[in-house]
Amino acid sequence: MEMASSSGLSSALVGGADTIVARSSPAGRGGLALIRVSGRETRALAAAVIPELDMDRGWRASLVELRSSGGERIDRAVAIPYRNPRSYTGEDMLEVMVHGSPWIIRATIEAFVAAGARRAGPGEFTRRAVANGKLDLVQAEAVNELISAETAWQARVARAQIDGRLSREFAELQATLVDLLAEIEGALDFAQHDIPFDVESAEKRRRRALNQIGALLATASRGRRIRDGVRVVIVGPPNSGKSTLFNLLVGQERAIVSPHPGTTRDVVEAELEVAGVRLILKDTAGLGATSDPVEREGVRRAMGAAADADAVLLLWPADGARDAVPAAAENQPTLRVRSKWDLAGAEEVPPGWTVVSCRTGEGVGGLRDALSRMVEAEVADLGGEIAIAERHRRGLEVAAAELEGADFALPEVGAEAVRGALEAVRELTGEVGTEDLLDRIFSEFCIGK
Amino acid sequence: MTVGGDFDLVVVGAGHAGCEAAGAAARMGARVAVVTLHKRTIAQMPCNPAMGGIGKGHLLAEVDALGGFQGWAADRAGIQFKTLNVSRGPAVWGPRAQCDKARYSEIMRRVLSGLPRLTIVEGEVIGLLSDDGAVVGVRLADGRRFRARSTILTTGTFLGGVLHSGDERRPGGRFGERPSIGLGAELVGLGLVLRRFKTGTPPRLKRSSLDFDRLEVQHGDREPRPFSWRSSSVRNRISCWLTRTPERVQTIIEENIHRSPLFSGAIEGVGPRYCPSIEDKVVRFPHHREHTVFLEPEGLATESVYVNGLSTSLPHDVQEAVVHAVPGLEAAEFLRHGYAVEYDMVAPGQVGMDLGCRDVPGLALAGQVLGTSGYEEAAALGFLAGANAVLRGRGEDLFHPAREDSYLGVLVDDLVNRDHVEPYRMFTSRAEHRLLLGVDSARERLMGQGVRLGLVRPAAFHVEQNRWNARSRAKAMLEGMNLNPDRATREAVVQACGIEFTSPATWAQLLRRQDVDLDRAGRNIPELSSLNDEDRRIVVGSLRYEGYLDRHRREIERVRRLRRVKLPGDLDPGAIPGLSREVVEQLERHRPVTLADAERLPGMTPAATAILAGRLARGGADS
Repeated sequence: MEMASSSGLSSALVGGADTIVARSSPAGRGGLALIRVSGRETRALAAAVIPELDMDRGWRASLVELRSSGGERIDRAVAIPYRNPRSYTGEDMLEVMVHGSPWIIRATIEAFVAAGARRAGPGEFTRRAVANGKLDLVQAEAVNELISAETAWQARVARAQIDGRLSREFAELQATLVDLLAEIEGALDFAQHDIPFDVESAEKRRRRALNQIGALLATASRGRRIRDGVRVVIVGPPNSGKSTLFNLLVGQERAIVSPHPGTTRDVVEAELEVAGVRLILKDTAGLGATSDPVEREGVRRAMGAAADADAVLLLWPADGARDAVPAAAENQPTLRVRSKWDLAGAEEVPPGWTVVSCRTGEGVGGLRDALSRMVEAEVADLGGEIAIAERHRRGLEVAAAELEGADFALPEVGAEAVRGALEAVRELTGEVGTEDLLDRIFSEFCIGK
Repeated sequence: MTVGGDFDLVVVGAGHAGCEAAGAAARMGARVAVVTLHKRTIAQMPCNPAMGGIGKGHLLAEVDALGGFQGWAADRAGIQFKTLNVSRGPAVWGPRAQCDKARYSEIMRRVLSGLPRLTIVEGEVIGLLSDDGAVVGVRLADGRRFRARSTILTTGTFLGGVLHSGDERRPGGRFGERPSIGLGAELVGLGLVLRRFKTGTPPRLKRSSLDFDRLEVQHGDREPRPFSWRSSSVRNRISCWLTRTPERVQTIIEENIHRSPLFSGAIEGVGPRYCPSIEDKVVRFPHHREHTVFLEPEGLATESVYVNGLSTSLPHDVQEAVVHAVPGLEAAEFLRHGYAVEYDMVAPGQVGMDLGCRDVPGLALAGQVLGTSGYEEAAALGFLAGANAVLRGRGEDLFHPAREDSYLGVLVDDLVNRDHVEPYRMFTSRAEHRLLLGVDSARERLMGQGVRLGLVRPAAFHVEQNRWNARSRAKAMLEGMNLNPDRATREAVVQACGIEFTSPATWAQLLRRQDVDLDRAGRNIPELSSLNDEDRRIVVGSLRYEGYLDRHRREIERVRRLRRVKLPGDLDPGAIPGLSREVVEQLERHRPVTLADAERLPGMTPAATAILAGRLARGGADS
């Protein structure tokens, strides 16, 4: 799958022939490959490449022969015709499943090109779906997220977004703003009819819109955690077994382990999936006074990683003094872990702590469960499947700033601010906006989507 | 065949659209014939006795700046002047005047009669003369024919007009006037699509039968201002009155609603939502316990009082019961009952930005027949149609006002490029760049164009130019003058306008504050005290728009870039790949002239605009 370069995308899309073709399954050898054709000439192209196919038998699979422009047999394949507007792109479409041979795939695409198709640009199928109103911009963005989803939560959020959950939230926000605008405009344009401007009611609507925006913005951090992963940092004093635990959780020897304090100096990262969520686990240098400048830098980085983390695993060895526990993480959820519990002797499990011994394996299962609960709490904090992405956050912040600045003392000026907020939201859903924005969004797509 | 004569332009109808069309064209040098049923009905005000208002006042000011008649005639016929929205900024001020209807009509009649090259013809146009698909004049009922290069139809509500009052239903264009039957069929024969609209008017009551003790008096402005640059001053001669419908009115109407032609199904035409009849209001807003009623005298010498707010087509006995239930109107005598009129209009998507029919050369339309409502909208369209008929005849560039420059542009663009389900009335909320399009800036924006058209004297233009230059100078000085919060300055500022400030600021920044005493500031700050009261308020008002004005200007720049991209006349949207069917349909129906027009069509997405732009950038390589 080639990734697109963002430049020249629109010209490639705008300038070309009508009907497009591309492989929609990934590059590399597989059992089967999916080739998609979309556009007004689909019927004519199908007649050239698959003479026996009946395009009027829409949405049904048929076993067919593919032939090159020279009449040579390419493959026996399964073909599904779609008639507009009931197709992914909203145009006439054809999907052909061929055997996964690179030659067959190439020959099939070339046969369609010879019949008059153009090779699709990145994201062009989805872009056509947007142009034809099959998807709005917010839904289209999620198509790419769904394709690249690696965890259950990423897929869930993307699916909900494609289904229009987030679009509906934006639509509700728009409705509030339109009501507010209508209230102001009514008072301005109908002043002679004795309709007073009810500032209090306008204020109420403004608060309602700001609350709606606030609720959506609150899902931004969740969105980041789901999309980019929950960052969990292991901190603790030197030689408390951080790297040993790290390797155990990751399931491989990523961090160097030694009996010497101060072995880990830089931050070591690994990814794993916990509770359907991508988790980025970070091993750090032990927190403690040191005269070694490299070690000191390691401590600084550890503190930095902890400050940026979504959650912290705080390790304290069973053989260490409990009253010296550092307050490394005040603002993040913290899982307190007594490590080296095999050295604890008769000590009772302190309340609020999880105990673990990497040597005996005692408590590792319990620690995994605790970690899992913590991560779930981090992403499911609002219970829903809505999680806005960075682009949405920026747009909503613009809208919020406009609304905060709206001055209803001069209603025509207040109206401008509300219009500004409305524009910002409309830009999110693709109702207004610039071509640059579309290019930016679709440049993330691969050919064949 | 009786030859009536050869002209450059024939205008059919002498209402507000017809008068402006004929007047502008004749003054620009064209030989014009205006055909009207009766000379006495020239420039009638068949509905409310007022000119201007919010949105409508904006159009009126723009037509005046271009050299049209309406504002000047309203100044002379005006009997009470009042600017609406004065507590707000200058962009939404809406100058309005109650007029003496008979006097208004008489003034316009005199003006038109006095214009050289203009002939007023009494008669009924029953058909069009056509030659090879083009309209080349009109046929009258008495057999006369008038030939002309251009014909403008301004027939108002007369095409297929039907008057409704209760279950009574009779053909009519206006109260007491016959409708035009044959003309509509001819338009259909030319391929034009007609639609049915509806409008209504309230009862007229006898002034001496009103109980003034129970009515609230409404005065005009203390310092009334004229609409027109041609007028030096105006004065108030009458008061209006106000009352409110009691709850009982709701019951009376509910009990008789089945007798209303609006609700019984007798009227199929679509009426304006923003100007609802009292029966509409009662049905749609049952929670509003009372509705305001304004009583507006229709002139100095007449007893007739217009009952603004009680538009209705209920049967006469119900109208009387409703009116007599209203405080102050218990013993009111009806001079005329309210009625609704249904009429044919020509769907405005069929004309271009110059108001000429796209597919019928020689024929243009203006006013209510094109689906607008109101005297001001009609006059604005008439002016444009008249001026463009002359420009086209001379082979010069047509006058296409853009929506970012004027309400005229908003009006034409909305009409031509949007679909309409109800009579179109101007509102300030229709203008995207409202803060730049106030009545206060109409002359600055359009008077130069009036001079170019030959309808405004250069000397008058220079007088106004001095005014707006003085305002810009004052504004620049207020913006450039830095004030430091030292003790002496702070005391001086408190003295000047009653406010405290603690960090360095310009005068402009201080005057934007809500707590500033503007009257005092106007007297005490030299940059302001040198201006007259109106200019002072304009300057301060525009200071408060700062920030948003820049936003408007940036957006206008962007739109102007798109406006420079012309769409070829033979563009086939269906052949452009990537456009949705909805967009193709919109482009085919409205045939936008520039990319800026196309961008505003409903359903036009940024992606579609980009595809179109890309196709144009390739320079139509396909064709």
